[in-house]
Amino acid sequence: MKFKKSLAMFAGVSVLAAAGCGNDGDANGGNGDEQGGDGEAVTLDVWAMGEEGNALESFVEDFESEHDNIEVNVQAIPWDNAHENLLTAVASGNGPDVLQLGTTWVAEFAGAGAFLDLSEYEDEYDVISNDDFFEGALDTTVYNDGVYGVPWYVDTRVLFYRADILEEHGFSEPPQNWDEMLEVSRELADRGDGMYGYDIDQNDQLVPPIFAWQNGWEFNEEEAEENFADPAFREAMAYYHTFFDEELVQVTEGVPIEQGFEEGSKPMFSSGPWMVNILRDSAPDIDGDWDVAMLPGSERNASAIGGSHLSVFAETEHVEESLEFISYMSQPETQVEWFKETNTLPARQSAWDDEELQEDEKLAVFGDQLEEASAPPVLDQWENIAQDLLSSLERINRGGADLDEELDEFQQQAARRLN
Amino acid sequence: MNHKNALTPWLFIGPAVLLLIAFSLLPILVSLLISFTDMNLIGLRNWDMVSFVGIENFIALFQDPLFRRSIFNTLVYVSIGVPLVIVCSLAVALLLNYMTNKLFTFFRVLFYVPSITNIVAIAVVWGFLYNMDVGLFNYVLNTLGLGSVPWLEHPFIAKISLIILAVWKGIGINMLIYLAALQSIPKSFYEAADMDGANKFQKLRYITIPSLSYATFFVTVTTLIGWLQFFEEPFVMTGGGPLDGTMSMALFIYESGFQYNDFGYAAAGSLVLFIFIIVATLVQFTFNKSKEN
Repeated sequence: MKFKKSLAMFAGVSVLAAAGCGNDGDANGGNGDEQGGDGEAVTLDVWAMGEEGNALESFVEDFESEHDNIEVNVQAIPWDNAHENLLTAVASGNGPDVLQLGTTWVAEFAGAGAFLDLSEYEDEYDVISNDDFFEGALDTTVYNDGVYGVPWYVDTRVLFYRADILEEHGFSEPPQNWDEMLEVSRELADRGDGMYGYDIDQNDQLVPPIFAWQNGWEFNEEEAEENFADPAFREAMAYYHTFFDEELVQVTEGVPIEQGFEEGSKPMFSSGPWMVNILRDSAPDIDGDWDVAMLPGSERNASAIGGSHLSVFAETEHVEESLEFISYMSQPETQVEWFKETNTLPARQSAWDDEELQEDEKLAVFGDQLEEASAPPVLDQWENIAQDLLSSLERINRGGADLDEELDEFQQQAARRLN
Repeated sequence: MNHKNALTPWLFIGPAVLLLIAFSLLPILVSLLISFTDMNLIGLRNWDMVSFVGIENFIALFQDPLFRRSIFNTLVYVSIGVPLVIVCSLAVALLLNYMTNKLFTFFRVLFYVPSITNIVAIAVVWGFLYNMDVGLFNYVLNTLGLGSVPWLEHPFIAKISLIILAVWKGIGINMLIYLAALQSIPKSFYEAADMDGANKFQKLRYITIPSLSYATFFVTVTTLIGWLQFFEEPFVMTGGGPLDGTMSMALFIYESGFQYNDFGYAAAGSLVLFIFIIVATLVQFTFNKSKEN
């Protein structure tokens, strides 16, 4: 009898345990303290991704000492898990108060109503839609006339080149436009087997649009798929294909770019500010032999602007405190401090007046490039379209598909996606 | 007393059944429902925005060249990978079963290690091994005077490369099952065979392999189910490329659901995969039954 009794208890406990699991999700990462209100201490949950998440924890201490009633609880989330964590937060309505948001995620999550529309607080907090931010960064905070974030930091791609190798081949200046770019690439790719002129990351969604922007293309929402019939777009894709067609870039995976750059087999590539430190650390031997320049263009020296915004989660109970925190993070002085801490580029143009940022020549190139940087359209379907475009270009570059036919097909696919 | 006894089996299976219902049966039913809707991220938050679309998702799926491609790729993975895993793990188990000294124990561990190694670490190492320019495999081939193989750069060869990786990773656990089964074969069978003058091959053919039939059945079923859900290898190694040559059904479902937030579409895809798995498993059970009879 005794045995049976304990068995029944065991079964009961298991049921409770199972039920407990179900509730656990609600308790985790909830909206912080329920009380809030004036005067009382408020815990602000902040989600920050990757390296920023790790650095933010100690960085917010200044903010906390200025605001006695607010305690910031930073949760660092690895970039790999960020998208799924956000999905879970949106689905359950249980999320942080403030969160870091990649500029390319605005459309999908704002469309789902995950964030607070900040445009109604514009009068109280001057950081909202402040035109001191880079225009390209502000563009990606707007979705369907609502404002869903405040730019935090930005990044953009510039041209990294081996000045010594270019010099050897008679190029004292980096290429400024498309023709020069091809000329330099051809010359350098001619050096022999396994030597290339440039490097293109075929998995990077931003690369094809960058080429198109350089050719004067602009995405116009009303024209939908007709955007991809624009000669400026088609020409840019043909130009992109030239690099693969003439084997000026490597089609296959090859060595990591840091290595190829150091060896000189890939003397030019485009990448973001993070690459400056990676090169300084991993290839100290070529320090001083390389430099950065604005991307060459045909109509304009365009690049893409990326980075992160800070957004307020729709379900938060601490709107005021959240905006207070975001305001603090977006002040030019804070942005400069943050730059010194993490090397991420300030989103506010006035922060660039700081001496340290002014003196660094490489950094100045990024500053110039940011002024010519465009943002991908803030559209729900953009992720799909950008991936379709990459697949189409892969079929052209690797599979030998016809450029025009493949792009026509891509355009039809875009039409289905957009309608 | 009697009716209390009748309750006992229920109490025994109760916890397992409840867990199964909560974490397996219910999710399957929910995803079945979702597969007939246009559920996406917006719908997730606001259920009014979700509408039933009938079998539209399924029609779109079978018109989607990428999904058809992923079915083809999955079938290639299964038809090459599954037999290979079974043969290799059986061979390794037979060889390791010859002796029980320290060296053999060491090798047992060695063959098992890939199964418990983190897939991300494996991806980094194998990514370098397979690298076309600086990889070890091509280096060895080149020193032998052979040409380079585009391990991960050609749509079909990339499939084979992933199969090799997955077989290497899959041998361990199945080898363990075979080893356990081998050790449960009564010694008296072999003694009787010795008396009848049977040679080693005859003992293998008429005693060992038939005695392993249940283990083989188990290994086949679990391996087949695992390989139909082929996901980790293309996810970490190739992302489905080149030219969608390594895109598997599971990866397709993952991408539609979690990259593009198209939950209805992804649920429809996973239902198709579910049916594939059920059919494959049923076929095996029937096959096994008819063999037993």
